[in-house]
Amino acid sequence: MRPFLALALRCLDGVTQGLNVIGSGLILLLMILVGVDVAGRNLAGAPVAGVPELVTLSIVAIVFLQIPQALRAGRLTRSDALMSWLERHSPLTGKWLETLFDLVSMAVVWVIVSTTWPIFARAWERGEFIGALGDFTAPTWPVKLTILIGGTMLILQFAARILRRWTLPPETEAQG
Amino acid sequence: MTPFEIGLIALAAMFLSVLAGLFVPIALMLCSFLGVWAIKGTPLLASKLMALAANDAISSYFFGVVPLFVLMGFIVAEAGLGRDAFDVANAMFRRLKGGLGVGTVGANAIFAAITGISIASAAVFTKIAVPQMIRHGYAPRFAVGVVAGSSVLGMMIPPSLLLILYGILTEQSIGDLFIAGIGPGLLLALFFAGGIVLMAIFTPGFVGRPKGAPEPLPSRVLLAKGLPIATLIVLVLGGIYGGLFTPVEAGAVGSIGALLIGFALRRLTWAGLWRVLVETGLVTATVCFLIIAAQMYSRMLALSGVPAGLGAWAAGADLGFWGLMILYVAIVIALGMILDSSSIMLILVPLMLPVVVPMGVDLVWFGIVTVLAVEIGLLTPPFGISVYVIKATLDDPAIALADIFKGAAPFALIMLAVLALVIVFPAIAIGLVPGR
Repeated sequence: MRPFLALALRCLDGVTQGLNVIGSGLILLLMILVGVDVAGRNLAGAPVAGVPELVTLSIVAIVFLQIPQALRAGRLTRSDALMSWLERHSPLTGKWLETLFDLVSMAVVWVIVSTTWPIFARAWERGEFIGALGDFTAPTWPVKLTILIGGTMLILQFAARILRRWTLPPETEAQG
Repeated sequence: MTPFEIGLIALAAMFLSVLAGLFVPIALMLCSFLGVWAIKGTPLLASKLMALAANDAISSYFFGVVPLFVLMGFIVAEAGLGRDAFDVANAMFRRLKGGLGVGTVGANAIFAAITGISIASAAVFTKIAVPQMIRHGYAPRFAVGVVAGSSVLGMMIPPSLLLILYGILTEQSIGDLFIAGIGPGLLLALFFAGGIVLMAIFTPGFVGRPKGAPEPLPSRVLLAKGLPIATLIVLVLGGIYGGLFTPVEAGAVGSIGALLIGFALRRLTWAGLWRVLVETGLVTATVCFLIIAAQMYSRMLALSGVPAGLGAWAAGADLGFWGLMILYVAIVIALGMILDSSSIMLILVPLMLPVVVPMGVDLVWFGIVTVLAVEIGLLTPPFGISVYVIKATLDDPAIALADIFKGAAPFALIMLAVLALVIVFPAIAIGLVPGR
């Protein structure tokens, strides 16, 4: 059971990191896009069609692709004053409180993911797009898809926190 | 229960759960969800509000450029421009008492003009300035204090990510906000420098006993070090105010400029660039996720009518302008002890806007006051982001977290003095802004 669990957790981290890489690539692309737009406007006298639309879409994708890794790396914002106090004085209470928080987090993200599903389905079926017809259009469903994927991975990473806390010895709780 | 009461309870629940250690964005989302559910009586509407916020809240061109400002900060750091700024500033101030400390402040002021985030400044100057100062006989506690204190300049002197956030929240011109940040930023740098010289003279026990000034640099070297930074500053600020690109586009142009300079100087490697990109991604995701959550929360608050009620209460309570500002600053600084700067701003500003707008407060000036107050929180225990970044970057068990907080304390006091000046003399901030 235990080796299987460790393998599953490693796979989860691998996928999480993969999403992170895609997100980082998107940031580079964003920089180039805006740069080309500014250059085009000032040097060629014409803005590049579609840059604002693409920027608007990709920021959402960037955030949801990277948020699971942000959690894994311990970067999600929190105030740890009470937690570190509990760790010193009553570690078990701290463990249970952390677990409760992780469960709550899973539920909250689940609400977002499940309600985004119909939004994604509609965007997919109706071929929703942003931009102006005849000039530049981009479909919106890929972005909704990244919310679904990123949200699901975020839930799984919260679950992984619980698993690591209770089942695995501390040393396998790897570097963030 | 009236929606107003529900809103107040949700507000209290949010503060409590954040204090208890729930992730801040999750706490905001949870309380918004439960709040809307209680107000509207149906979970369906509440979850729709959440999904809509997740899909739309940051889906705009303004937010699209947030990662580019973070990226610019990290690239200039990776390209070694921080060390250049430090060398140049030291050459300028080497004859002063406490010169290395003043040099660090100067370098931070220069560096702030090419970066928009405090944590980039904190990380860079921990690596460069702290070892140099300790080597020259400064007390370690003072050395880290100087770095912590002067890192806040990164958020005051334009470009600044916090000012952009504020501009988006309150629909103020980001260009105006940037101009308004210059005066207080320079004043802060001046006060820091003066404070360091005074401390070096009157409290040598705190500062340490610096021995000798660093070697002077030949002017050819100085020029070679100063030129890339000067180029980048001219490119970013000149481009904004010359009308070549908007403040939101400056992040992209600055990143590209820093990339080109870094590669031209052979200081940037592909591996380094990739590391910076990943780091940028994590910071962006954290900040933007927080923004999404804060949007849900402010939509919930708007539904409950708490901000409007608060405005009516403030108008009726006869706090007056001064009472209100003192109360506001106190709350911001108190929150700064437990939260990071963007969280505080995203939580408080939507709450405060309906209160201050009827009083005819200049929102650009109010933004500068907010950012200054929020940045004091970066230096105050137990939750001071800048201090944590310094601790993590330092990686030296001999310097404890408490040492950094103690070293930073005089600088937090100086910031408080500058904040008071800006509140009493708004012209420091908005004097330069056209049309005010």
